[in-house]
Amino acid sequence: MSESYISSAALHDLPLWKKMRGKRALISFDLEITARCNNNCRHCYINLPAGDREAKEKELSLEDIQEIGNEAVALGAVWCLITGGEPLLREDFPDIYLYLKKKGLLISVFTNATLVTEEHIKLFMEYPPRDIEVSVYGVSKKSYESVTRRAGSFAAFCRGLDLLIRSGLNMRLKAMALRSNLHEQPAIARFCRERTKDYFRFDPLLHLRYDGDPSRNAEIKAERLSPEEIVALEQSDPERFQTLKKGCDKLIVPQFSHISCNHLFHCGAGSESFSLSYDGLFRPCSSLWHPDCVYDLKQGTLTDAWQGFIPRVRAMQSEREEFLKACRVCPLINLCMWCPANTSLETGELDAPVIYFCQVAHARAEALKAAGAPC
Amino acid sequence: MKSKVNFDAAYIPSEDLVCREIEGELIIVPLVAGMGDIEDELFTLNETGRAVWAKLDGKKSLKAVTEELSAEYEAPPDEIKRDVIGLAEELLKRKMIVEASKK
Repeated sequence: MSESYISSAALHDLPLWKKMRGKRALISFDLEITARCNNNCRHCYINLPAGDREAKEKELSLEDIQEIGNEAVALGAVWCLITGGEPLLREDFPDIYLYLKKKGLLISVFTNATLVTEEHIKLFMEYPPRDIEVSVYGVSKKSYESVTRRAGSFAAFCRGLDLLIRSGLNMRLKAMALRSNLHEQPAIARFCRERTKDYFRFDPLLHLRYDGDPSRNAEIKAERLSPEEIVALEQSDPERFQTLKKGCDKLIVPQFSHISCNHLFHCGAGSESFSLSYDGLFRPCSSLWHPDCVYDLKQGTLTDAWQGFIPRVRAMQSEREEFLKACRVCPLINLCMWCPANTSLETGELDAPVIYFCQVAHARAEALKAAGAPC
Repeated sequence: MKSKVNFDAAYIPSEDLVCREIEGELIIVPLVAGMGDIEDELFTLNETGRAVWAKLDGKKSLKAVTEELSAEYEAPPDEIKRDVIGLAEELLKRKMIVEASKK
């Protein structure tokens, strides 16, 4: 008999995953508990006004969420990301958090930190989240509020962030790189690295709106960086650029492995996770809003969505020659922002090329080659 | 350092954890801080541990658990007793079980 009866591992190191390799198994899900936000960020793909009554009425109730949580746990989920909108806008956030936590789920929370209170800290200290990820839109009042378009939001962010940092909870910081804060990116990176132990990331991909709002989409496009600016930003982050350089033999694939296959989805969408919108729309990934890839949970069950619907989505194929002869066989696909979800937000189609994505991928490849990357 | 267990007492899983079975594996998910070293630490039990854990119902003493397991398994009773106490000590140290009478 054994001497050691208990072993422990972090979520991603559980021996269980080895056993499940090759099987499709639910591990995690994103739960957007609201689309409303107290900020009005220029680049946001989802935010609706905090006081939007219609959006509030459509939100899944605590009971709906409990039912979905029960079903997700029964399907094997071990990790839930609570996000929004701004999840702390919901008055029943503590009830949602505690219920899911007590079901045996590890919980992550995405927040802008502006609504964090002592009560939230008390809750998180007693029942710790896996992590809390805070978005940093700027490190000065001027740039932060030029993104959020809400007076007083910078002070609220600083106060909330300070509460979280002082609590010692496991925190991550991330930044979106957009035109309104581009000049502050080095300062944002410093700010984040000084405040978190080991994690900071910035994302230059600004998704278009899930609701297709044309005026908001125009604002998002105006905030997008040019391919050259994205590359310059990536090069200015030695750690990120070195990682790209080292991995570029895997990122640039002359003999692309899916060359003879017309399937649209070669990513992990729906393989081990799903996303759920504030009003109960189930999707294989958080960016995938194409009507053919969305299942309304109010009309069905999570089990049916996971076991019946997702395999049908993942079996979808493209017949579009423009795609099959370009993106499908492109050796730069792994440097590209292209995926069925992102292209669908851009074009309404799941398999249309997107010129902006293409330009970014080529600019990245040129930069890597110019830096002597072995690819 | 291991915590001292009472062989004549009954133990029960703490309310500060959730025990889940996924794909035939027993996964212990802590709800509160202090059971693990990192925020997403999850615990699993080996086969022996699982056999003992299943009997920690707050009614049977560790002695009774040992007797039941001795009747079910071919291993020598002394070895089973060592395993029951060994697991209980590890669980108690991590505050994963509580003595039923002190609950």
